[in-house]
Amino acid sequence: MVGNAVLELAEERALASVGRWERRSLGVVRAEDAAEFARAAGEHAQQLVDPARDDFVVHPMYVVSLLRGAPGADASEFRPDGMYRDEVPGTDGLDVRLMAGGQDVRWVGEVRAGDLIDLRRALTAVERKGVGEGFLLLTVEKVYGSARGTLVEVTERFIVR
Amino acid sequence: MTGLVREVVVGQAVLPVELTPDAITLLRFGAVTRNAHRIHYDTEFARSEGLDGPVVMAQLHGCLFHRAAAEFAGEGGRVREVAWRNRAPAYVGDRLVVTGTVQSVDVSSGAVTLDLVERCGAGGVVCCRGRAVVIPG
Repeated sequence: MVGNAVLELAEERALASVGRWERRSLGVVRAEDAAEFARAAGEHAQQLVDPARDDFVVHPMYVVSLLRGAPGADASEFRPDGMYRDEVPGTDGLDVRLMAGGQDVRWVGEVRAGDLIDLRRALTAVERKGVGEGFLLLTVEKVYGSARGTLVEVTERFIVR
Repeated sequence: MTGLVREVVVGQAVLPVELTPDAITLLRFGAVTRNAHRIHYDTEFARSEGLDGPVVMAQLHGCLFHRAAAEFAGEGGRVREVAWRNRAPAYVGDRLVVTGTVQSVDVSSGAVTLDLVERCGAGGVVCCRGRAVVIPG
């Protein structure tokens, strides 16, 4: 299949899935994992990197940066480029290039160690951008919640070429 | 409106925050977020995708924007929103610097909107533009 046909198929699939909400568990937030995340992100604030402190807080970007919860994924869940097959709607099995376009993150509540995180997400917009064949800009809405209700809302954009 | 918010004025500078992620940083960050996308660690693959080499993860850019916002909010403050758009790839070893200014102050809610930009590498190429809404402490 040539490039343009692949992109058209990705667009067709994506359009067909607009508005379809799906759900995934990201598991329980562990303070040690959140601290490891903060350290990997170059943070030095002790309340972010030392889970033994009484005033420890989960880095606000931790949960929204997680692509999967523990215990991770099976080999069959990955594309050849290393992305998860279902990460970018409509692209499973297609030879397309995927890039992140940016995010809007809105914190509604505080994510705490011990929270069982439930992620709901839906593709909400599919746009063709650029000149010629161009690229697809996909917009995905995500809602992260726990038993305490909604914690974080995210609008994420993916570029498909 | 608190006295501290009153001290925030439109155009006020956001102090810069920076990070120079190396290959180890990206490996650690990818591992802890379970991000196995090869453009972040496989040079040959990244080049096949039209990039100059492995690139920094979007979420790591987001962390730097969040840090800039959180440091501006200060002790007792909070970050309500952070947003960014990727404009150009940032590569392993690039020095990333987020700077910004106060875009607006909502007197009724105390919310301060920051206009942020992230530049990368020696040339200071704009790799992301962003904004944040904070409630200063």
